[in-house]
Amino acid sequence: MTGLRARGSLPHRLTHLTLIGVAFFSAFPIYWSVIVASQDNGAMAEVPPPMVPGGNLLANIAKVFDTAPFALALLNSLIVAGSITLSVVFFSTLAGFAFAKLRFRGRTLLLGLTVGTMMIPTQLGIIPLYMLMIKLHWTGTLYAVIAPALVNAFGVFFMTQYLSRALPTELLEAARVDGCGNWRLFWHVVAPVARPAAAVLGMLTFMTAWNDYFWPLVVLTPDDPTVQVALSALASGYVQDFSLGLAGTAVATLPLVLVFALLGKRIIGGIMQGAVKG
Amino acid sequence: MRPTLGGRRARPRTRGGTPARALSATITAGALLLAGACGGSAAAGKENITLSVGLFGDFGFEPLYRRFEQAHPNVRIKERQATYDDHHTNLAAHIATGSGAADVEAIEVGYIGTYTAQPQRFVDLRKYGASTRQSEYLAWKWQQGVAANGAVIGLGTDVGGLALCYRRDLFAKAGLPADRAKVSALWPTWQAFLDTGRRFAAKAPSGAKFVDGPGEFFRAMVAQAPEGVYDRQDKVVAATNPAVKQAWDLSTRMVADGLSAKLTSFTPAWDTGFAKSSFATVACPAWMMAYIQEHSPGSSGRWDIAAIPGGGGSAGGTHLTVPTQSKHQKEAAELVQFLSAAPQQEAVFKAIGNFPSLPALYDKPEVRDHTNPFFNGAPVGKIYADSAKSLDPQHLGPAEGQVRAAIGNGLTRVDQGRQSPDQAWKQALDDVSKVK
Amino acid sequence: MALRQTDPLPTATARRRTGPTRARHRPGGSRWNRFDRAVSPYAYVSPFLVIFAVFGLFPLLYTAWVALHDWSLLKGDQGFVGLDNFRTLLSDGNFWNAAFNTASIGVLSAVPQLLLALWLAHLLNRPLKAQTFYRITLLLPNVTSVVAVVVIFSQLFGRDYGLINMVLTHLGAGRVDWQAGTASSHVAIALMIIWRWTGYNALIYLAAMQAVPRELYEAATIDGASRLKQLRSITVPMIKPTLLFTMIVSTIGSMQIMAEPMLFGAQVGPAAIATGGAGRKFQTLSLYLYELGFRNFDFGYASAAAWLMLLLVMVAVGVNFLLARRMKGGLS
Repeated sequence: MTGLRARGSLPHRLTHLTLIGVAFFSAFPIYWSVIVASQDNGAMAEVPPPMVPGGNLLANIAKVFDTAPFALALLNSLIVAGSITLSVVFFSTLAGFAFAKLRFRGRTLLLGLTVGTMMIPTQLGIIPLYMLMIKLHWTGTLYAVIAPALVNAFGVFFMTQYLSRALPTELLEAARVDGCGNWRLFWHVVAPVARPAAAVLGMLTFMTAWNDYFWPLVVLTPDDPTVQVALSALASGYVQDFSLGLAGTAVATLPLVLVFALLGKRIIGGIMQGAVKG
Repeated sequence: MRPTLGGRRARPRTRGGTPARALSATITAGALLLAGACGGSAAAGKENITLSVGLFGDFGFEPLYRRFEQAHPNVRIKERQATYDDHHTNLAAHIATGSGAADVEAIEVGYIGTYTAQPQRFVDLRKYGASTRQSEYLAWKWQQGVAANGAVIGLGTDVGGLALCYRRDLFAKAGLPADRAKVSALWPTWQAFLDTGRRFAAKAPSGAKFVDGPGEFFRAMVAQAPEGVYDRQDKVVAATNPAVKQAWDLSTRMVADGLSAKLTSFTPAWDTGFAKSSFATVACPAWMMAYIQEHSPGSSGRWDIAAIPGGGGSAGGTHLTVPTQSKHQKEAAELVQFLSAAPQQEAVFKAIGNFPSLPALYDKPEVRDHTNPFFNGAPVGKIYADSAKSLDPQHLGPAEGQVRAAIGNGLTRVDQGRQSPDQAWKQALDDVSKVK
Repeated sequence: MALRQTDPLPTATARRRTGPTRARHRPGGSRWNRFDRAVSPYAYVSPFLVIFAVFGLFPLLYTAWVALHDWSLLKGDQGFVGLDNFRTLLSDGNFWNAAFNTASIGVLSAVPQLLLALWLAHLLNRPLKAQTFYRITLLLPNVTSVVAVVVIFSQLFGRDYGLINMVLTHLGAGRVDWQAGTASSHVAIALMIIWRWTGYNALIYLAAMQAVPRELYEAATIDGASRLKQLRSITVPMIKPTLLFTMIVSTIGSMQIMAEPMLFGAQVGPAAIATGGAGRKFQTLSLYLYELGFRNFDFGYASAAAWLMLLLVMVAVGVNFLLARRMKGGLS
């Protein structure tokens, strides 16, 4: 990409400087996790704490896999976060399309309801939800984690807002003139336009699902955990073994960072493409 | 809530580590005997089952499971560990909804009263022959696991016999004796303990306070009274029991006299305090030894253990229970019996320091003569046995944890300098009155 | 638990712009087409509504039922008490204390967070080298697990050896016992939230900004408008629906803050985990619910508190919504 303005200009440099500063603050914790994960537990009590990695990283990671069913946990989290992401993105785009561009009775009401649902404090729903899972015989299974997260109002709202702006009404009308039904309209016109927002939503959903903690902890057993549940077992005990805990965190986080690093270009490509189309 | 109740904390993970191996070696003899006794019941051809055991932290049970599995070829044991808070929170949800609990659940004394009030939710272990065990136990420990209707819902593992861990080097620098007999002689009473603290403060090395914070000492003092925050009719008497107020006054006095490092136990700052020599004494239930060891790397020989002022007491300790929702109640009950039996309690003590709840062990040479090299070779077997024996039983109520947490927070407010002892006491009692 | 909630209220503008497509030419008008137009919108929104009804609505209604009872988590239903729980709540100092803390932390975190996010998105919304790198690092705080956050922030905010207090002492300002005071604890928690969610919001803004026609900026640049002016007069008006969206989502998110005060309280001591410090200085509403439900096992009372909290959230969102519309009027 070539800059619109002279590359070396002062504002341009300031921009980079600012962004590098922000990147530093954002990335520091990850760096910090690696430092702690590569030390032995006692090092954390030192003041000032160590600032460069030690030599125990691999040993700690090996211990992580030894202590908890971590490989299984990674696989489970992949399944959970993956299916939630696909489902949320698909259903949100679908509903977003309907709310943003289709006309039907009760639309405002239903949309308002959708917004309303999001204000519900989640903590207290846990017991009734848990009882429901018992009835469905889903406790201890991944269904219990996936099912309630298959849709969320955030996604619907997000897509509604995006499509209402990014999807040109003329485009829809032109397609209609060509005899497109709503379903084909969705696939051939809406979905391509929605892609950039879908990429962002997918990324955020995947992350949230991956890092979800409280509900999986209640409903799953440590024998068949997600990554966060396995992590909680790792850091358990009054002797908080931070090195072990953060080695586990590193193992749990790096796949996420890798995925973003690899897909980042594509996601951003999608955003750019959306910009052109919008 | 854990600090207040002094729950037993998990010790360093020892799975596969040296202590575990030592444990498995030491128990072989005793466990084999028991295994033989149980062996007959584990006839071949039985359905294969998996028993889950829910613990908070590592209890050092891993090698014991292997023994049990050898004696019961159809049983596999899987352990679940969570933090103290997660464990007890989840247990409540699982018990309430009738699903999700492990086959064997550990319950810390702070919560045992909550569940003995719910006997229908737990297997009455008398059905599986637990009654015969009563005579083995410290009477009060046994009683803690018994419901009002007589059902035995939990068998005790360890007790948190009280002692006092102190820093020999800091004591010497402050011109106090460092020898453990002389140190014990310094403080027959808590008042004498405070006086010693003032002597310490006068010549203390910079940065070192006499105590970590008031919380654990308050708990120790209350634990020594015949009655704590509850009376035997399960009525909260924190406001009227003079022993509680006296403990409050003594512990807030520590703060007023500048003896406190203002660190609350089981926080990261407290952990750092160990490494930075921020305090010279810590109330020391048996399970605390492993914790100190873990957080004071390179301090071997600097710590020692003396008697607790006021003589004896217990803080923390655990029971093993079988929720009625377990699908393998019989096997789970057998496992509870096994894990709480004398040879296993002895083995756990030697491996990680949790002190047995069976007094017959206290006079056994292997226990009585056990010493801990990290604590300058302190005769921990004798110290904790003496402490546990001289203890008056104390009744713990159904909301023990909440009541103690409310008072504990009050002590912290005083320690933070946010409230005067009187204000904090008033607010603490107000909070206590809201506990249902 | 999902920290971020959703809520889509189309704004006046959005509605205007978005307005349901009314096909001017109704081609064919075959029966299928008419059927399709009438029914398919419902088909498209129904997966969301059905799944939500099962896993969202049922727990909510059940909670409402429980709120009318003296209901212990362990002992079960102890009898119908009508509105007693709600009556007690109205005079429950701890509840209102938590409501105040929630509002305070919410404002302290949401306002700087959204402004900062807007500014960062603005910086990124131009051809830059290393775009991808910046965008990915922006999300790192959100990727980081809570365990890591605890370790890092407990080090930063430590009373005796924390990095921030070291700097303060160096500057001669003296140490702060962060968890002991109302203001200090609220600032500390707000900082954690800002750190965690700014990049997330920046990316959402960025996605919206990408849809703003480039020509507008080019024309403005030719007119000599500064970048800041462009942000105010072009970007903000153009992405208003997104701004409103994030404002509402942040408001709702703020009302549900629990993990941060919980972990922050754990630094004070285990007894302070559910109470937001020893003096309830930073106990939020969600955390109070947690204390009532999972510490005191008072399921009935906690359920009533949850419903009252829902009411407060609705008020907060409503106020926010009105504010946002006003702001919008001023801007456009």
